[in-house]
Amino acid sequence: MSFSALQDREFFDKQDELASLFGRVIQADKGLAQSAVLSGPRGIGKTELLKQLFGQLFWRQNRVVPFYYSVNPALLSAPAFSRDYLIRFLCHRLAFQKKEQALLHDDGMTIDELSLLAEDQDAAWAKQLLDRYVQNAGSPLDALRVAINAPRQSALATGMPVAVLIDEFQRLKDLHVEGTPDPRLASLFEGPLASGKTPHLITGNATEIQEMSVSRDLERIPVQPLGAEGASSKALALLSAEGAEGAVPHLLVRHLGGNPFYLSCVVRSACGKKHPDDKDFWNAYVREIMQGTLSLSWSAAMKTFFPGMEGRRTALAVTRKIYHTAEPLSCQRIAKSFSLTDSRAGETVQALYLAGFIRGEFGVFRAVDDRVLRDTIECLYMREILGKSPHDQEQYFLEKLLPRKEHAVRFDITLPMVRESELVAAQCLEQIGKNLRLNEDTIGQMQIAVIETCINAMEHSKGMGNAIYVSVAVEGNRLEASIESAGPEFIVQETGEPVVDRDAAKAAGRGWGIKLMKRFADEVKFERTPRGTRTVLIKNLGTSAGVQKEDTANRE
Amino acid sequence: MPKGYINDMGAVSLEQTSEQLLGKGMKKLIVNFADVQFINTIGLSIFTGMVQKTLDHNSRLCFTNMKKVHRDVFEMVGLIKHVKIFKDEADALIFFKGKE
Repeated sequence: MSFSALQDREFFDKQDELASLFGRVIQADKGLAQSAVLSGPRGIGKTELLKQLFGQLFWRQNRVVPFYYSVNPALLSAPAFSRDYLIRFLCHRLAFQKKEQALLHDDGMTIDELSLLAEDQDAAWAKQLLDRYVQNAGSPLDALRVAINAPRQSALATGMPVAVLIDEFQRLKDLHVEGTPDPRLASLFEGPLASGKTPHLITGNATEIQEMSVSRDLERIPVQPLGAEGASSKALALLSAEGAEGAVPHLLVRHLGGNPFYLSCVVRSACGKKHPDDKDFWNAYVREIMQGTLSLSWSAAMKTFFPGMEGRRTALAVTRKIYHTAEPLSCQRIAKSFSLTDSRAGETVQALYLAGFIRGEFGVFRAVDDRVLRDTIECLYMREILGKSPHDQEQYFLEKLLPRKEHAVRFDITLPMVRESELVAAQCLEQIGKNLRLNEDTIGQMQIAVIETCINAMEHSKGMGNAIYVSVAVEGNRLEASIESAGPEFIVQETGEPVVDRDAAKAAGRGWGIKLMKRFADEVKFERTPRGTRTVLIKNLGTSAGVQKEDTANRE
Repeated sequence: MPKGYINDMGAVSLEQTSEQLLGKGMKKLIVNFADVQFINTIGLSIFTGMVQKTLDHNSRLCFTNMKKVHRDVFEMVGLIKHVKIFKDEADALIFFKGKE
């Protein structure tokens, strides 16, 4: 693995997260640090964050040894993994001693060479570790145990704690002794993970890591997407690095969802021109989802989870069906729609869920928020199932995406959690309505719904956050308001609906809040997000929810 | 005449005023919504109590100058059937005079 780029590359919008992680692992010198999982979707920057953290720990302090390891899928037999893990740990540990950067990159080091190096550096503890490993080499399980515990042994022997940073941790579920993956082998990490002197920060496929028993109970630290400013700065830096000048259209930046990987792919693709304009960037985006690095990345993920062509075609069709269905789908419904057995449907959605193509909550499956992934899947579906030509695909996406940029309007507001701040959101909505000449009744209804949602967000955050994030977007014939806040107990598992505090509801009529939202918005969605929970209110402009929902209200 | 945002604070003062009037034996109350901008469910629940007390006192309550959305809100929680709604205060007064 190369660390050379880490010190040079600018790292946008992530300094707070980096400082927080740095502060967290540095607690190891008091024996108080706790292990955690960095979670977030593919491309959000988990690996980069881990590498940046390694760089800071390596160069900017002398109290905690950093060790970075990315699990190699080619080295998952117990002997190969344990040897590689031990050698790399010792290289990083000894490199830290004298800040010898060259040692970090020495990929071909042998056990004998390391022994000599340990002797040269008077690191008797390292020599003992290597000797113990060699003595146990005949027993793959014992050798694995020695390697996995090496950071902890070194911390005990030298008093110097170790921050273990492991990328692609989920691959460890495929560790094996005799060719058959044995998920129990990863549980050998349990001891080191629990030690306050060897905090492990692990990352990789968040869903798969969540399913591993060894990491299931670890604290999860969500990696946030780039904000608008961070995304713009990163885009500018990427353009500059390619010797190009231009500005990525704001709507495209938003479409990319603050995902640094997506942004890099699109900007690099647009840099075929030295002065790309808006249309060039949108064209680059369409190229990327059709056949670029971005498309390849998701296709590879699909192939990993569905190696066979037939399984992949089914998975693609199921994913698209879920993306195009407004309500969440159960396994039974998917089985029925595609004439699959329940078990085949179950295996397919489980793999799609683990791969990050769909979300699974409360026994049903729904689309991810990632618009780029949805476009990529649409593209794959058009190509592999419908057999559409590249020209047809390109036309479809340009027609779908380009008009949107002409008509979409979006406002983002951050409200402090103080009394009556919900009125700011309501007033904002009123002004948007005036600016866009929207129907007053429609805006009035959405104002009431937004007020209730903001109050709900404040009630359910239970002091966990100090802000509510409100977005109001008008695209074509649709007004969407989303209200997001911290708070883990917002949604009832069985129903997918928000918790209603019964006592509070009795005391102050709060039980009506959800009814009001549903009465005045055409669609109400409750979602879990890295920040906490989000309520999305959707109003189809030009329809009258008051009239349409009369019957519903009477039934309630 | 309530104003602005009818939440817990706004509605409580309205409730207190109505209680005072009902306590003095007033049988006809008019609430003018002309200056009401927003109502939330906390305010709404206090209105529910107010309507209940009016019924307990065998009094009559009229709402006037309501925006459609506010009317919808009251309708949703079933309060509309316990109050009379008029376009403005003049109409409400005519109604009350007709009842005398």
